[in-house]
Amino acid sequence: MSTEALADHVRNGGRLDAAGALELYLDAPTPLLGRLAGEIRRRKHPDGVVTYIIDRNVNYTNICVARCNFCAFYRPVGSAEGYVLGFDDIFRKIDETMALGGGQLLLQGGHNPDLPLEWYEDLFRSVKQRYPAFRLHALSPPEVVNLCRLSRLPVPEIIDRLVDAGLDSIPGGGAEILVDRVRKLLNCYSKATADEWLDVMRHAHRAGLRTTATMMYGTVETPEERLEHMFRLRELQDETGGFTAFIAWSYQPEHTELGGSEATGVEYLRTLATARLVLDNFDNLQASWVTQGGKVGQLSLAYGANDMGSVMIEENVVRAAGASYCMDEMEIVRNIENAGFTARRRNMHYEALGEPIFRGRQVPRTLELAVARGEDDATRPPEIGRYAARSAAEKKARQAGATE
Amino acid sequence: MEDDQRGVESVSALDGLAERVTAGATITEADARLMLASHDLIAIGVMGDAVRRRLHGARTTFVRVFEIHVNAPPAGRPLHVSAGEFRIIGRPASFEAAVKAVGAASAIASGVPVTGFSLIDLQGVASESGQRLDAVCSALRSAGLAAVAEVPVDLAGDAAADAVNAARSAGLAVTRLTVHALPDARAIEPAVRARDLQLATGGFRVFAPLPRTMSVTEPSSGYDDVKQVAMARLLAANIESIQVDWALYGPKLAQVALTTGADDVDNVAAQESGALGTRRSSLEEIRGNIRAAGLEPIERNAVFECGWNGAGGGAPAE
Repeated sequence: MSTEALADHVRNGGRLDAAGALELYLDAPTPLLGRLAGEIRRRKHPDGVVTYIIDRNVNYTNICVARCNFCAFYRPVGSAEGYVLGFDDIFRKIDETMALGGGQLLLQGGHNPDLPLEWYEDLFRSVKQRYPAFRLHALSPPEVVNLCRLSRLPVPEIIDRLVDAGLDSIPGGGAEILVDRVRKLLNCYSKATADEWLDVMRHAHRAGLRTTATMMYGTVETPEERLEHMFRLRELQDETGGFTAFIAWSYQPEHTELGGSEATGVEYLRTLATARLVLDNFDNLQASWVTQGGKVGQLSLAYGANDMGSVMIEENVVRAAGASYCMDEMEIVRNIENAGFTARRRNMHYEALGEPIFRGRQVPRTLELAVARGEDDATRPPEIGRYAARSAAEKKARQAGATE
Repeated sequence: MEDDQRGVESVSALDGLAERVTAGATITEADARLMLASHDLIAIGVMGDAVRRRLHGARTTFVRVFEIHVNAPPAGRPLHVSAGEFRIIGRPASFEAAVKAVGAASAIASGVPVTGFSLIDLQGVASESGQRLDAVCSALRSAGLAAVAEVPVDLAGDAAADAVNAARSAGLAVTRLTVHALPDARAIEPAVRARDLQLATGGFRVFAPLPRTMSVTEPSSGYDDVKQVAMARLLAANIESIQVDWALYGPKLAQVALTTGADDVDNVAAQESGALGTRRSSLEEIRGNIRAAGLEPIERNAVFECGWNGAGGGAPAE
């Protein structure tokens, strides 16, 4: 089919197949992709509302055994730069989030062998005990897989236990590209295969959780593999309907083992628009201002996005790889309205919550995102000793601590 | 002109304009206001691109610039510099300081054209030193200056055309129009002034419509920038190139600007650390970004000689 015929097919509500999607992704003029994506966005969101959420990205540990070669955030077990946040640290971050009008944490971290399932259960329970209405959007599929391996329990049981402890929804991190050839090259096949990632989401959806889906592109994958990723997500969404949103971002190369360069802004807009065309069963597409910056983040709204993501408050993973953009609520709302849309706060289920917080009360401006903890902070959380250490390095550290 | 507040407008508001632009018509100031008030970013970008492609096709020029502060010129040529322009930045404290900075820059430029100063600052220097502007420019020309770096159209007064002619009569090239600050995102005045100054004097090669300064707490938005670039391309059709600053606006926005009206990239880094290898060099980054936008990269120098690759400007950028 010609590009124009494919465009008409999309305009008439037709579904793209792999060949058609590839044709458009590679050959359609960028404005045409934008126009088509905009038409679909309007069809799904005729009210002209663009949403955002006030929540905080918290990374409870940077210690990780996965060793993905595209990651600049992790530290190996035993590293002097490794950290685990204490429960009190996390409570303080929740207090700060609530002060800014937030009601949720996006909680993700490394695959730390010294944090067993019980640590997560205790953390979630204590959060819910202190903050009953606060939501936990936590633990991407590879983290769930890691807990399955540590505890030797199947995925549905891990999810049930986490939900019982307070888990509200699962973020779609760790998807990278859902093609095992790519995952092997990125050294992330062992943390979760493509099937394992999808299987966690399938079980989560069956358990009644809503989740997001992500894609990190721009490493070693081909355009065909980016589309294969999208089609695998579309297939699961047809099956479960459990995905709330899709979020694409470009690989950030600074300080990573893989190195290389970042995909460009135009490639981002083309990828986003193509995702809007392929993922016809996803209601929401987020703009990734944290990797593209506020300006191209805003331009995403002309290329199919209907959500500006989160104010984040804190960010550690992308920053470690070289990107350090910041948008507070006022800036996000300004950008949404400047593009001609109506800004609405939302929750993790993409339900509108209302007008911007700063219009109702004074909120301090944030010009730089916070980090997990101070550079010189080497404290160990007191509760960590309640859980059995598994790694030799942690056992040694505890012995040293006990003899001091 | 009524605003569309929901971002869901049809292209109808711009349809007539788009047809006229496609037919090759010049736009009016009312048309320019219509563009800036619209939220139909794609339609606006397509119009900017149509004129850009009519003038330049896929050709996209860029210049690597080595900046030298007027008060702190380096004693010797720094390592790993490969530039098409040595540009003196900052306002000179005096006529003598300006001449001294040009001399120092020329000494390390190894034949690469040296540019510097805004025309407004040179007018100030002339006034403060009790000299005529053409005399100041002549002295700077003798010290090695090839061109005045910029004429900020929003700061240039009514006598701007006379000042441009005075500088040119002294042998300096005056080819680049810039905007110091936009009063608001919907201002068309700088583009109007750029067009009119070109009508009055001719000789300008580029207009950089995006402002050099902006608010930290409320920076211009991506929509604002794209609309200004496209509007400038259409309104200032008598100026050959629309320019975007690589360092100031960042590769992502600058690349998008190249697809919506701009065809020239200023201020690509001229100094490499060498630590990251050629794949990550600024030269490869700019070329890769231009190609990824479906365009053809061509390096130029400060006086618009194309095919310049930093030769004569020092070591290759590896």
